[in-house]
Amino acid sequence: MITRRNFVTRMAQGMAASLAWPALQSCKAPFHPVAHLSGPNFKLGHRLRAMNFKAPTAEEQTDVVIIGGGVAGLSAARYLKKSTSTFVLLELGEETGGNAMGGSNSISAYPWGAHYLPLPNDHDAELITFLREANAITGYENNLPVYNEYFLCFDPKERLFINQYWQDGLVPHEGVPEKDRGEIESFLALMHDFKTKKGSDGREAFTIPVEESSQDPELLKWDAITMEEFLRQHHFSSPYLLWYVAYCCADDFGSSLNDTSAWAGIHYFASRKGKSANAASDAVLTWPEGNFWLVKQLRQNLEPNIRTGALAYDVIENAGGVEILYFDDKSQTSRKIKARAVIMATPQFVSQRLLKADRGFDYKTFQYAPWMVANITTTAGLVERKGEPLSWDNVFYGSQSLGYVNALNQRVGMSSPEKVITYYQPLLGADPVTLRTRAYKTTAEEWTTAILNDLTKPHPEIEETIKDVNIWIWGHGMIKPVPNFIWGDHRSRAANPVDNRIFFAHSDLSGISIFEEAFYQGHKAARAVLNIV
Amino acid sequence: MLISVFVVATCGLIYELVAGTLASYLLGDSVTQFSTIIGTYLFAMGIGSYLSRFLKNNLLSWFITIELMVGMVGGFSAGVLFILFEQVIYFRVILYSLVILTGTLVGLELPLLMRILKDRIEFSDLVSRIFTFDYIGALFASLLFPLILIPYLGLLRTSFFFGFLNVSVAWVVAHRFQHDIKGYKKLKWSAVVCLALLGTGFALSEKLTALSETLTYPDKIVYAKSSPYQRIVLTRGTNDWRLFLNGNLQFSSLDEYRYHEALIHPGLGRLDHPENVLVLGGGDGMAVREILKYPSIKKITLVDLDNAVTDLFRSNASLRNLNQQSLLSPKIQVINQDAFVWIRDQQETFDFITVDFPDPSNYSLGKLYTTTFYRELYRILSPAGCLVIQSTSPFVARKSFWIVDATLKKSGFLTQAYHCYVPSFGEWGFVLGFKQKLDVPYHFPAGLKFISESTVQPLYSFPPDMTVTESAYNTLNNQVLVNTFEKEWADYTR
Ligand SMILES: Cc1cc2nc3c(=O)[nH]c(=O)nc-3n(C[C@H](O)[C@H](O)[C@H](O)COP(=O)(O)OP(=O)(O)OC[C@H]3O[C@@H](n4cnc5c(N)ncnc54)[C@H](O)[C@@H]3O)c2cc1C
Repeated sequence: MITRRNFVTRMAQGMAASLAWPALQSCKAPFHPVAHLSGPNFKLGHRLRAMNFKAPTAEEQTDVVIIGGGVAGLSAARYLKKSTSTFVLLELGEETGGNAMGGSNSISAYPWGAHYLPLPNDHDAELITFLREANAITGYENNLPVYNEYFLCFDPKERLFINQYWQDGLVPHEGVPEKDRGEIESFLALMHDFKTKKGSDGREAFTIPVEESSQDPELLKWDAITMEEFLRQHHFSSPYLLWYVAYCCADDFGSSLNDTSAWAGIHYFASRKGKSANAASDAVLTWPEGNFWLVKQLRQNLEPNIRTGALAYDVIENAGGVEILYFDDKSQTSRKIKARAVIMATPQFVSQRLLKADRGFDYKTFQYAPWMVANITTTAGLVERKGEPLSWDNVFYGSQSLGYVNALNQRVGMSSPEKVITYYQPLLGADPVTLRTRAYKTTAEEWTTAILNDLTKPHPEIEETIKDVNIWIWGHGMIKPVPNFIWGDHRSRAANPVDNRIFFAHSDLSGISIFEEAFYQGHKAARAVLNIV
Repeated sequence: MLISVFVVATCGLIYELVAGTLASYLLGDSVTQFSTIIGTYLFAMGIGSYLSRFLKNNLLSWFITIELMVGMVGGFSAGVLFILFEQVIYFRVILYSLVILTGTLVGLELPLLMRILKDRIEFSDLVSRIFTFDYIGALFASLLFPLILIPYLGLLRTSFFFGFLNVSVAWVVAHRFQHDIKGYKKLKWSAVVCLALLGTGFALSEKLTALSETLTYPDKIVYAKSSPYQRIVLTRGTNDWRLFLNGNLQFSSLDEYRYHEALIHPGLGRLDHPENVLVLGGGDGMAVREILKYPSIKKITLVDLDNAVTDLFRSNASLRNLNQQSLLSPKIQVINQDAFVWIRDQQETFDFITVDFPDPSNYSLGKLYTTTFYRELYRILSPAGCLVIQSTSPFVARKSFWIVDATLKKSGFLTQAYHCYVPSFGEWGFVLGFKQKLDVPYHFPAGLKFISESTVQPLYSFPPDMTVTESAYNTLNNQVLVNTFEKEWADYTR
């Protein structure tokens, strides 16, 4: 009897492969990698170093100025907008978004930076309210949020290329010896304990926002040592486990085992407890353009308040409040805004240049990991190896990179050979300044060669299938949670407002660079400002 | 030398069997193919025997040369036939020429051998021994072929393998009698080259099979085309037409009415004056043909990804006969778009929706079986309407079938599952979805061949080997169906 889906699938696959080859060959055209350097507006941003601005030619008055239109700034603006409209947001880029910027081409939208949001913890009320507004939460069932199924990451989600095979999931298991698997299991069990643990003060041991985590010294002590040391103290030595934990640190912080605080390292595994009626607790929300989608939701009613191409270069306290000086790129003029308060939603290395006030901490304790992100377009598709099919997140065991994300993963239609993949690489292995300088000096061609070298491991034919490569360097990509930073004095002092009129909101103040923290910093500052205006 | 008789005899019969099998695979109608091939082959052997008289001197080196030729021609014949089948119109001419060539060469072997051996062995002894070994070889070959070779090596590798044996015989003989043979070196090197070629052929067999899809179809291919989405193959056997998409049978014209009547009428037949119908998938127009049997229908929207399929079934005369010109009906609107993309911004509502997608064999297809997709369907189904989902085989993929049912339930539908027997598919299953309970007075159109008031009732009851097993449901972020389906079909076809 012939069955409907009969025995020929294997042959059909072989056939598809042999059909694909000529197609690939004929598509082999020279491709031109294009390089973008730095964030939204590299040239404009760098004028902060020279500080050669002319005197302001215009002056105006408002209640609040927000400097910086990243997630933190937009979150502050969103919150303010519920009570007032008399505020201005200044963003130096051509568009708001900051590290959650996205782009698009004829095939797909894609992220340039942040690309996913794990299910938020249920006590993160403001974030949940926002997701409800954005219809990312569509309702509730049994008191649990129901997430929009179009935004929950589709299956297949994650795969790891290991021992010449694409295994399911990122925790190494394919061809991994019994002993190593045991070690990985006990590490994950240990992390699970931390996840459910409460500190002596009754608070959750690890949570988001970071600020709400337990202050139990028995837990905070882990902030004093590195993740490497933590693993050593717990007798973990399996190379597979070490690779995996290193991968996680690189993924969330852009840092290595030997410069990540163990507290931060544990936080990665133990802080996410989101629950939902229609997804597992480790589910994530994602969009073709990554978190840029969230940015677009955040700024939905904010158009009248946002000024782009606006570089703030001075913040001066005066009797009635603050004066903000900014350079308007379009008119090439300097302008002044008088306000009752300002929210500086800029990273501290920028705030340092805008503010004369002594904030009582050392700016040098804020270190930022540089990142390289490449969006790679292929019209002929990827030639696949054995194992799991193309997934949302595709990682290579042993690689320094984080692999790539498939921008078309959330597309509901049939898959086509055209792809946009976003390749992520935190720059590791030296101090950030050296790495940053080196990154800017590296040419687009050199980056491309390095990227293709890495991609050839799972896709030996990659060079023949690529149409173009776009590279973006984030000089100050993520705040680095080095030991003693998160729970040290400098970070907490940096968060203090100055004279109750200069407020701060940036993810670096949390010590961990994630959407939830940026969002939290934003509405927290907005709340404080609303108390005084 | 007598061992070589045995080998030669085995090889000879194998080539004949290979040719016969190939011919019936590719051309269908195995009885005719087998007997004509065997007849031709035997006749060609006769020619060979006759020709043997013209070979006078250097009998040993002639024998070796012929062995080499048999090995090459026989060994490569299956491969050549495979590749040429799709490209050449005069396929039969080539097939029979190859059979004649192989037969002739094989026919030369034994007479030559007898003459070579006649001075070494007494005549009566020789004849007896040669024919004994010949017939043992034949028995050996005919048992080996169906029991071991075809299942384990496959047709192509079998033919290469025996080519290899033939050439090895040549090499061994050349080696043993090197002093009696002029040009020994040359012959020996030719043998080495032939061995290398056949070895390569053997190693590449898998690729070759992949290249030539013909093996996978029992009948003659009358249409084959690769659209951007799939490989479309239409075959014609002695008494039916079959459509394959990516190698999967979509229908056989012999019993497709069973499938399509079962797909449409249990649902549509219970609606009161249905007017607006949506068909997702089903670009062959067969479902539409059934739907058009209801005079109240005013409009049918057919959404099929692939215009290559809808065009084929609109333009080809024989296929138009099968779907009774349904795709040319003025009531139909054909939309060639991805169903999921199309449905997301669809506002119109439909009284009846047919969902006839390929089975959920990959993640792309699996998306069309998720709660998200079914909720979109719920949104565009009219309150008293109903939909039907083709839901794979509840016998082969029992869990998968019930996952579809559970997924529909989870998406808000009341469901009713049923199944029917379609000889070319086996047991096949469908699930109906409603927004409100629909009472059953059926209004079936006249002239149905399978569905009627009395035959439809039993379809809703499942024997114990197909009853509900699983309550998991399929979502975009957790496609349990794809994995379950893969596993169930793999277990079944293993
Ligand atoms: C490569 C990469 C990948 C990431 N992936 C993820 C992820 O998947 N998930 C996740 O949650 N997080 C991710 N992150 C972290 C991400 O940085 C945060 O989620 C969040 O977007 C940070 O927002 P922010 O507002 O705190 O900072 P920023 O995005 O840095 O915002 C600061 C804004 O201020 C503007 N600005 C600076 N100086 C001035 C000035 N003088 N005048 C006016 N405007 C100024 C900047 O242009 C910028 O728009 C990633 C980061 C990087 C670099």
